[in-house]
Amino acid sequence: MRYGPILLLLGLLLAFPPIASATGLEFYTGLLTKLMIFALAAGSLNLILGYGGMVSFGHAAYFGVGAYTAAILAREGVSSAWVIWPVALALSGLLAFLIGAVCLRTRGVYFIMITLAFAQMIYFLVVSFKQYGGEDGLRARRPDFGLFELSDTTLYYLTLAVLAAVLYGLYRLVNSRFGRVLQAIRENESRTAAIGYPVYRFQLVAFVIAGVLAGLAGVLMAHYTEYASPNLLAWQQSGHLMMMVILGGVGQFWGGVLGAATLLLVEEILQDLTLYWQLGVGLILLLVVLFAPRGLAGLLRRRAG
Amino acid sequence: MSLLVIEHLTKQFGGLLAVNDCNLSVEVGEIHALIGPNGAGKTTLINQISGAQRPTKGRIRFDGHEITHLPQHQRVRLGLARTFQITNLFRSYTVLENLELAVQARSGSSFRFWSPVKREKALREEAEQIAEMLGLTPRNHTPAAQLSHGEQRQLEVGLALACKPKLLLLDEPMAGMGPEESGQMVELIDRLSQSVTILLVEHDMDAVFRLARRISVLVYGQVIASGPPEAIRANPEVHKAYLGDDPGGQHP
Repeated sequence: MRYGPILLLLGLLLAFPPIASATGLEFYTGLLTKLMIFALAAGSLNLILGYGGMVSFGHAAYFGVGAYTAAILAREGVSSAWVIWPVALALSGLLAFLIGAVCLRTRGVYFIMITLAFAQMIYFLVVSFKQYGGEDGLRARRPDFGLFELSDTTLYYLTLAVLAAVLYGLYRLVNSRFGRVLQAIRENESRTAAIGYPVYRFQLVAFVIAGVLAGLAGVLMAHYTEYASPNLLAWQQSGHLMMMVILGGVGQFWGGVLGAATLLLVEEILQDLTLYWQLGVGLILLLVVLFAPRGLAGLLRRRAG
Repeated sequence: MSLLVIEHLTKQFGGLLAVNDCNLSVEVGEIHALIGPNGAGKTTLINQISGAQRPTKGRIRFDGHEITHLPQHQRVRLGLARTFQITNLFRSYTVLENLELAVQARSGSSFRFWSPVKREKALREEAEQIAEMLGLTPRNHTPAAQLSHGEQRQLEVGLALACKPKLLLLDEPMAGMGPEESGQMVELIDRLSQSVTILLVEHDMDAVFRLARRISVLVYGQVIASGPPEAIRANPEVHKAYLGDDPGGQHP
């Protein structure tokens, strides 16, 4: 990996909030926070979809459960982030373990449908809790970190730090022994089993890691909007995350980040221009799938080397 | 001493008995060939021994362990490795990357998430040694998909070999090969047999009679004869099965 461009980007992101507030562009600090949260969620999906070849169509479940855990705990009077974060991550991980343990016994289109079905069950379950807002969602005060006040600016830096740490961890992971086996399973499952790897166990561990990271993104999302919406859990959200990964590059390291940033920016711009912005998004996705099957990250890579 | 013992093994797919009350034993150190007409159940038998499919009935013992219900990866750990009739490689990976994966599977835990695997010199060195034994060293950095058919078949054997098996299950290693490539494969198998027991499924009768110490004949899922090559060659039942004059005539 080349560190130059990454350090440059990191520097720009670190310098952004003071510059934005000096020039009256605070709105963009918020937008960047949202981009980074989705980059985290899409990056977690890319781990299982891209590197693991597991086309999960229910990734919003973990994202939403992370957000709802944060919101429900806040509603119940828990204010410390040091409690909220571990509980939310543990719950997303547990959910991913239970769902993954069942779904990973199936393959192909059945896997896609059963992950979707589980996510929809979680959606309807959450919506049925009227005391937690039902279809209206749930307001969630930002938690207490003890060390600092969680303002828009500190949330921005917190998100940046989390994203950077997770991406570094994922980079280590995909190049580790585990990452190599995960990719081998995607390449050729029967052979990976035949040379002595317990395929199911590797897939399940990856599935849980991705679930925890999506839950982490969900917690940040709840802090960002101070609200947990059922939309975070809906199948459209799973589709949205998949679009990000496909746009950015399936199984490309920067695929999740690039896809999330590009898709959200394009949506933001097109929504200002036209009522029919979804048509534009669809066309862009179509072009990428047709002409850059390895996504934007694949394109950049070809350009660079 | 028997390394592999199969007793009353049966595999049913709906109404079809692919393997029907099959008994077979493989002795330590031998090359045991399994022959039989197409559809006799040879690959189904290999799949059950390796653990890719579960038997309907019967039992399999390997090296003193009851393995009938053991998952595939544990059988590999006990020393049972297989090749595939239809070449089954990591096609986009180079020869060395293919072999390294197999070496990694038996050298320590692969639930390691942090250290870069590319820095593990030991894996690379072992993979290089295996490539050399296969005669694939000049192709070390070539993706498997770009190898010739013969080289792919050799790598196919190499991947199983990298598991350091006690018993090597070779499912038609000569499939689709010309005479020259077949000759190289015979030589390779002959060399391997000095250090590993081999169960060889093969259609190429020249190769079978050159290599095998014992031959078992599988017809309609049952072993109808088992013995040294001369005995099998002289066996009238085997002739009947191969000449196709099955008196029942109900089978295709």
